[in-house]
Amino acid sequence: MRLPSSLALAALAFSSACLAASWSFDDATLTVSSKGSGADGGVKEKLSPNSPSSKAITLPAVDTLKIVLTATEGSTGKRPHQAFLTLHEPTTGLEESFPFSLKENGKGKVEVTQKDLPYQLLTSASPLRASLILASFGSSTPYASHAFDLTLQLDTTAPPTAPTTPERYTPKPVINHIFKFQETSGPRVISFFFTLAVLAMLPVLFGAWALLGANVDHLGKAFGSAPIAHGLFLGSVLAMEGVFFMYYTSWNLFQMLPVAGVVGTVAYISGSRALTEVQERRLAGER
Amino acid sequence: MRWLVASFLLALLSVVHARSFNSSRLLVVTEEITEKDKYSTFWGDLESRGFSLSFASPKSPDLSLFKHGALAYDHLLLLPSKSKGLGPNLTPNMLVNYINANGNILLALSADQPTPSAISSLLLELDIFLPPDRNALVVDHFNFDKASAAEKHDVLLLTSPKPLRNGLRNYFEVDGSIAVPRAVGQVLGNASPLLAPILRAPSTAYSYNPKDEAEAVEELFATGSQLSLISAFQARNSARFTVLGSAEMLENKWFDAKVKSQSGVEGATANRAFAEKLSAWTFQELGVLKVGRVEHYLNEDLPKGTANSSEVGFLDLNPKIYRIKNDVHFSIEISEYVFTHLVPFTPPPTDELQLEFSMLSPFHRIPLVPTSQTANSTVFTATLTLPDQHGIFNFIVNYKRPFMTNIYEKRTVTVRHFAHDEWPRSFAISAAWPWIAGIGVVVAGWVAFVAVWLWSAPAEDGLRKRN
Repeated sequence: MRLPSSLALAALAFSSACLAASWSFDDATLTVSSKGSGADGGVKEKLSPNSPSSKAITLPAVDTLKIVLTATEGSTGKRPHQAFLTLHEPTTGLEESFPFSLKENGKGKVEVTQKDLPYQLLTSASPLRASLILASFGSSTPYASHAFDLTLQLDTTAPPTAPTTPERYTPKPVINHIFKFQETSGPRVISFFFTLAVLAMLPVLFGAWALLGANVDHLGKAFGSAPIAHGLFLGSVLAMEGVFFMYYTSWNLFQMLPVAGVVGTVAYISGSRALTEVQERRLAGER
Repeated sequence: MRWLVASFLLALLSVVHARSFNSSRLLVVTEEITEKDKYSTFWGDLESRGFSLSFASPKSPDLSLFKHGALAYDHLLLLPSKSKGLGPNLTPNMLVNYINANGNILLALSADQPTPSAISSLLLELDIFLPPDRNALVVDHFNFDKASAAEKHDVLLLTSPKPLRNGLRNYFEVDGSIAVPRAVGQVLGNASPLLAPILRAPSTAYSYNPKDEAEAVEELFATGSQLSLISAFQARNSARFTVLGSAEMLENKWFDAKVKSQSGVEGATANRAFAEKLSAWTFQELGVLKVGRVEHYLNEDLPKGTANSSEVGFLDLNPKIYRIKNDVHFSIEISEYVFTHLVPFTPPPTDELQLEFSMLSPFHRIPLVPTSQTANSTVFTATLTLPDQHGIFNFIVNYKRPFMTNIYEKRTVTVRHFAHDEWPRSFAISAAWPWIAGIGVVVAGWVAFVAVWLWSAPAEDGLRKRN
């Protein structure tokens, strides 16, 4: 029943002049028990309002944690408006409160099982801080104090189902593309070695020819009788190799073809004249 | 670009020195026009920041949020009303349309008046839960104002809110304590990333129904920091909807009230500064980001012979096509709007902007580093090597954070494969050298053979005789 505010203020002034009461509790017992085991099994612990319990309380999966107490204002048992058991998770700062169901004289209890706890408190790595909060309207000093530490023993066969991780706007993980395998050449030493080996074959070839009797003895005679033909022909053979080299390094097909055509024509015409000269020597028995 | 033109025009037209980023027409909807005098300091503050206020009752027949298809008012402030709803012109559907059209709403609730069911259902759509009892009040027997609520404990005295989590900026920090009288607590759904609490209740607070639960509270709606006294919702188009649990904290008498905390410390409230920050955030004066130039270009030396040498230092900016494995430089310019002008944007300490280079999913997601600042923006750059996959790719800057405008910039480019003449030449490949030497040997041998064939004399030794 709510008093009119002026009356309430008068009562407040009067009561505060008399005494500044403070909330506290008496006869508090904490029990952890499972159904059917009665009062014998489980943990039983007395709680004192002034100091937290030194014993760490463990709550197994199927058991119930029950706290029975009598809330007092000053020295009389009374029911406060707010009588909570608050479990606080130290790392994330999340907490959940469970209200006591108290009678008019302040006596009552609260029962907590693992089913009542949210996922984040169930899977806490460190023990939960349990506090008792007793407070009400008016000027009495409220009570909030750390009562005990609670560790949860989860059921390993049925671990709590994690809720779907909610989407939050944060920086996302860094991704660096992994490139496909890039071909590389082998060690340059090996390349050098084989290049030199190949290049060394040229003198070997010339040496073998020399052993077989290769010579250019008729060079003077040929150039004497048909200098332009032979000169142009040799030049055009060398020029053709030059065209191929330019095509390999920088020219494209359309630059190379006209030049190759010209060089080829020169080679054909001069070559036929040069071959005529060779034929003359063959007919003269010199070949 | 449109914002640039609009703000330039607005700057020309206005002489006031503070301005919301969008525009400044604010409609206050209050049932009793006489009630608006209780908030006169707040209106004065808003007007000095450049807002043009209009007052209307929800029942007035010509009240309309839209005019000719566009918004008639850029911002909306709803004060608590005693009637069952907000009238036919402010249905929840219209409020949702208003937000979708980039209108901002500040909705104030009060524990003295039951919240209309239309409002509750609108908030439910946004995943904000109000207590199921119409009359719900947040009290805290540990953090209340002894000067005014020594008995009822319904005026909470809170410290300035801290950043929500690591990496977020706190736009609501004030010096001093904030008085929150007769507030309606809200619980925010966990799934939505668009919701964020601005001011949370301390851990000993709880919500109860004064009519039914006067003796003791047995069924709890929510307690402690799960109760959000002021909640913020930023839609995906960056329109803002703030739910203020206590309309009374904007009243003149609470703007500089003398309060006394539980421990006896006396002081003045910081409600006026907090109301300024709250309304500035909601009406797009704080926490607004603007994107300037977005540039990307090839970060390599051009190959010989293909350089377009029309001018020295020519840079092909924002080309449409790249090649795989090109080195590319990307930069984006971002400013932050603070009350009146644009300043360079610095992300909060542990936060970073990221650039994604993505086709259907990101191939690269790399941090964008602030490299330079202009007078009113910061330039963030990143260099990356394009993946060895050809296709159509997007440069995406996707920066969405609570309390900040959503930034989503996408630039599409084509990534082509190597052209036939872009592969490494064989003389540059060391493993090919033996083969090239072989070709050379063949060429030399051929020319020598031609010479020998043309100009040789028959061999003089016994080989001929054997044949």
